[in-house]
Amino acid sequence: MGQEPRIGVYICHCGINIAYKVDVEAVRDYASTLPYVVVARDYKFMCSNVGQEMIINDIRNYQLNRVVVASCSPRMHEKTFRKACEKGGLNPYFFQMASIREQVSWVHEDEVVATEKAKELIRAAVFRVIHHEPLEKRYVDINPNVLVIGGGIAGMQAALEIADAGKLVYLVEREPSIGGHMAKFDKTFPTLDCAACIMTPKMVSVGQHENIKLLTYAEVESVEGFIGNFKVRVRKKARFVDENKCTGCGECAKVCPVSLPNEFEYGMTNRKAIYRPFPQAVPNVFTITKEGWSPCRSACPANLNAHGYVKLAHEGKFEDAFALIMESVVLPATLGRACPAFCERECTRGEVGGSIHIRLIKRFIADWYYENVGTKPPFRVDELKNEKVAVVGAGPAGLSCAFYLAKEGYKVVIFEKEAEPGGMVKYAIPEYRVPKDVLAKDIEVIRNMGVEIKTNTPIGPDGLTIDELFAQGYKAIFLAIGAWKDRRLNVPGEDLDGIYTAIDFLRRVNSGERVKVGNKVAVIGGGNSAIDAARVAKRLGADVTVYYRRTRHEMPAFPEEVEAAIKEGIKFEFLTTPIGFEGNGKVEKMELIRMQLGEPDSSGRRRPVPIEGSNFKVDVDSVILAIGQVPDSEVFGKFGIKLNRDGTVYINPRTLETSRKGVFAGGDAVTGPSTIVEAIALGRKAAYYISEYLKKGSLDDVNFPSSLPTVDKRRVLERRKVEVIPRVKIKELPVEERISNFEEVELPLTEEEVKKDSGRCLDCAICCECKQCVKACEAKAIDHQQKDEIIEIEVGSIIVATGFKTFDPTPLRRYGYKKYPEVYTSIEFERLNNASGPTEGKIVMKNGKVPESVAIIHCVGSRDEKYHPYCSRVCCMYSMKYAHLIKEKTGAEVYEFYIDIRSPGKMYEEFYNRVQEEGVHFIRGKVAEVTDVAERPEEEGKLIVVAEDTLTGRILRVPVDMVILSVALEPADGAEELARILGIAQDKDGWFIELHPKLAPVSTASDGIFLAGCCQGPKDIPDTVAQASAAAAEALSLIMRGKVEIESATSYIDPEICVGCMQCKSVCPYSAIDYDPSLGVCVVNEVLCKGCGLCAATCPNKAITLRHFKNEQIFSELEGILL
Amino acid sequence: MNEAKEKFEPKLVGFLCYWCSYTAADLAGISRLKYPPNIRIIRVMCSSRVDPVFIIKALLDGADGVLVAGCKPGDCHYQKGNYYARRKVALTKKILESLGLEPGRVMLSWIPASEAPKFAEVVKEFTERVRELGPNPIKRSSFS
Repeated sequence: MGQEPRIGVYICHCGINIAYKVDVEAVRDYASTLPYVVVARDYKFMCSNVGQEMIINDIRNYQLNRVVVASCSPRMHEKTFRKACEKGGLNPYFFQMASIREQVSWVHEDEVVATEKAKELIRAAVFRVIHHEPLEKRYVDINPNVLVIGGGIAGMQAALEIADAGKLVYLVEREPSIGGHMAKFDKTFPTLDCAACIMTPKMVSVGQHENIKLLTYAEVESVEGFIGNFKVRVRKKARFVDENKCTGCGECAKVCPVSLPNEFEYGMTNRKAIYRPFPQAVPNVFTITKEGWSPCRSACPANLNAHGYVKLAHEGKFEDAFALIMESVVLPATLGRACPAFCERECTRGEVGGSIHIRLIKRFIADWYYENVGTKPPFRVDELKNEKVAVVGAGPAGLSCAFYLAKEGYKVVIFEKEAEPGGMVKYAIPEYRVPKDVLAKDIEVIRNMGVEIKTNTPIGPDGLTIDELFAQGYKAIFLAIGAWKDRRLNVPGEDLDGIYTAIDFLRRVNSGERVKVGNKVAVIGGGNSAIDAARVAKRLGADVTVYYRRTRHEMPAFPEEVEAAIKEGIKFEFLTTPIGFEGNGKVEKMELIRMQLGEPDSSGRRRPVPIEGSNFKVDVDSVILAIGQVPDSEVFGKFGIKLNRDGTVYINPRTLETSRKGVFAGGDAVTGPSTIVEAIALGRKAAYYISEYLKKGSLDDVNFPSSLPTVDKRRVLERRKVEVIPRVKIKELPVEERISNFEEVELPLTEEEVKKDSGRCLDCAICCECKQCVKACEAKAIDHQQKDEIIEIEVGSIIVATGFKTFDPTPLRRYGYKKYPEVYTSIEFERLNNASGPTEGKIVMKNGKVPESVAIIHCVGSRDEKYHPYCSRVCCMYSMKYAHLIKEKTGAEVYEFYIDIRSPGKMYEEFYNRVQEEGVHFIRGKVAEVTDVAERPEEEGKLIVVAEDTLTGRILRVPVDMVILSVALEPADGAEELARILGIAQDKDGWFIELHPKLAPVSTASDGIFLAGCCQGPKDIPDTVAQASAAAAEALSLIMRGKVEIESATSYIDPEICVGCMQCKSVCPYSAIDYDPSLGVCVVNEVLCKGCGLCAATCPNKAITLRHFKNEQIFSELEGILL
Repeated sequence: MNEAKEKFEPKLVGFLCYWCSYTAADLAGISRLKYPPNIRIIRVMCSSRVDPVFIIKALLDGADGVLVAGCKPGDCHYQKGNYYARRKVALTKKILESLGLEPGRVMLSWIPASEAPKFAEVVKEFTERVRELGPNPIKRSSFS
């Protein structure tokens, strides 16, 4: 300031607290000698009215413009004295305090030394205050909305108080319903009120209150901002049910096929995947637990919902199962026989007994449908469309694409070159694998969907061209020409009679031709076509040998097929390949060379290398070459369709469109020889894109519906104990019965076997999306496509009411929890008492008998050095409550094993007396163990509680029917993460820390964030409710103030000195510094600045000042100390 | 035993952050813990405010030792200021070495708000340590 400093110094005696060690008069005298000090006084209590008046008067009378008070810590009275300065007309920042109590008189012994130190600290304060500058107070508005985290009794109470006051409350609850733990209780101590009776009215109020926005099944993800201005991101998890439409009727749960342990009942009963936690839930709607896709569904190339149809099969709902299958694939009866079943390889059951027979169950369902319903498709077309689509090729890919387009209402025509539809399935896969009448039914379904199949109608050089198809009015074309051209060996003699290519051979046999293969047949190759050819040739009466150039390990054929071939007597020769054929017009001999495995080739398999001089010859009547196929696509290249080097059709991998607009491709024509299911998958995908193309014209923003993440198997196996149940063995026709004919080799499962096997399903993803619930829901409230919703809310204050969880006593093995069936935790026993619990409120053992004696063990996990040192406060009372209820309901003998009885509340001691008078036995002693090993006849069949009775000094063995463990309370799951999100602290036991243990039990060190209920420490319901009301009151008090003061001591950057190096910007924790490119300097955003000073210390040019902590001020303080 | 050294009372300056270490010092006072009187405390809002210049000036102007105390890692009231304080002190100690000053004269300590005994311990330990080192060799004889 322009004026000369005029300082007033005041030394406080603080009663005797300072005066007993510090010579306050000497210090006062010293102070008056310091520069610019105009007046120096001492007084007994500077913080009192008299003391403050002294300052105010001196400011006026002496025209003081600086004030120093030497007394207690600034934490105590800096505010007080700043206010006094203000009252005296002085800016409150012209004030400095020296702490000579906490930092001198209370901590040092020697009076002389203490006085000297006091003088130095005052000198430092005086030197500093000379350089002080006035600062303005800053305020921000407080957003009147409140966020309450947790919907138990604490959260609900707080929410209701604030909502009744007219303010808006967001109540976020992680579970599907509010109610917390109190919803699980039966009666509450000591009045034995029914918990539900007193709480459900509150729950309903919360649900209906116009000022409470209830967000259930939701969690707080992030909190930004500061008091009065919090920006909160809440994730509302998808429950797959529309809350506004669901009426809570429960019809869905009746038909849901998936059961799992009920978390609300602590696993004592099961619930369905679609569920309501308890009947009085608020909101009274259902929720679906869906964790993703089961591994079977993810493994399937068509993402067929295997989990879903397996569950439906278990329920006997075969027609619905068939429909579910056809939502994703066609040719179900074929797939049920010939699919390699990628699903089964990933089935989690595979690790505990063998995978579910997903494929054979599909076969059963398809066969059942054809027999009992027929070949009508399980879908109706909603609206017919005008556009026509042409499909080239009636193999699996073409049939699939056509079916799904017809399902959408398009007019589809398939142009098939051969005499019959079915592609490879019809012409290459042998009859003993897929009987052709079965395939015919599969194809009937597709025809009945409205697909026209024109056989004997090739597209290509002998028939229509692509241009002609477009000219005929087809708006899009799907090429599914497969891979039918066999590769050639290119060795001498390959064109002799009797040398067939595999596809050609199989096609002829499947067309009914009885190919004469003679006696000795050689099959060259190691893939499925080779095995098919070999097994067919065997059935034509030949002696067959398969020659493969690598080893069995590298054979691409399905292992099951190879096994079957070996069983049928087909021989295999490995590491050999033909180099030439000899014969007179017809093949008679084949020359081969032996191979060895060298370096891996592009497929990763080791390349076979011929061994010089190892040639040998064998006699043959026929040779079948099965060395691979490629698409016969040359002609399509002429239609403007780009081909890859190997002849496959080039496509856009996302949309399946070829290089020619409006022409799509899929199946083996694109992938090379593959599996039926992969071709079907591509066909359906293409149908989707073709449909979008016809609707929108462009495919730029179109994406195939995405998949859900695959559930981790480990998670599934950890959910509950899984028994190893082996799968039913696949039955086959015995070799002798099948070797000379083309009867189907694999036998089906029976209906009983299907139901039994599907019962082994582990429900990996929980909800299987079988859609039975959708069918049953009259309100049309179920939406399986629902996504998590992120809701952003702005609030001024936050009340944390996240409650607790109970201690899991499994590690205390001596108590036998989870070992003996009749050992319960207190909360489990609570559920037994509750009328809507697993036993409808009756106290019965798992064997149905009523217990005649019950032991209740106190302090399990509490007051225990190894687990929790604290007392959980409510266990003595609830233990006695159980004793009373047990007596009342069963008359059994009850033994309470306690250390101390804690009954401090209103009517608690009286309740203790009452329970004692009811004849409950109280034994003072910690229980050593609970055992079932009897030492005397009366202990047989019982659980024996072994404890020391410390009052008599004897060891007791008390035989009982049931044991209840009174377990400790612990912070709820996720408390640590929430603490981090909110920026509040946890104590060493994990409970949230209050601002002051006595005087501020509901606020935290973070302004605007309050605590209510057990999240701050274990307590009973009366205390919880009281604390919740207190937190609400504090929040309301904040809101009433309307404004809150924020830090005035912010940073300032001098633009004259700043060079714009941005060091400060890079370190600011609050991103409160911006770079101004027009000036080339950095600027502090005062609203965000919190006044830490990091920027000031970082600036290499010292361009930054932290107000009220300027370098000047600190140097002066130093000078005062070190002079 | 050197008589002079026995009588040597080091002058120590402590820069304490308001939220944690200063609170711990207050709590030490409330708890009536006793510690050597050699230390003089200067309050800053955050240990990150401590510019190396403060430390050097303090040593040049007569301090025998400088203590910088802040919040425990992870608990800084301003998120991460204490990490910067740590780096600055480490760097300052290196610079001081080249000036011929023992690095033991500068100490950095994390003192949580509730740990008053730790505060007293740190002060005791630091005082003894600097006492052993003796008077600051680079302090200017007169203050200008």
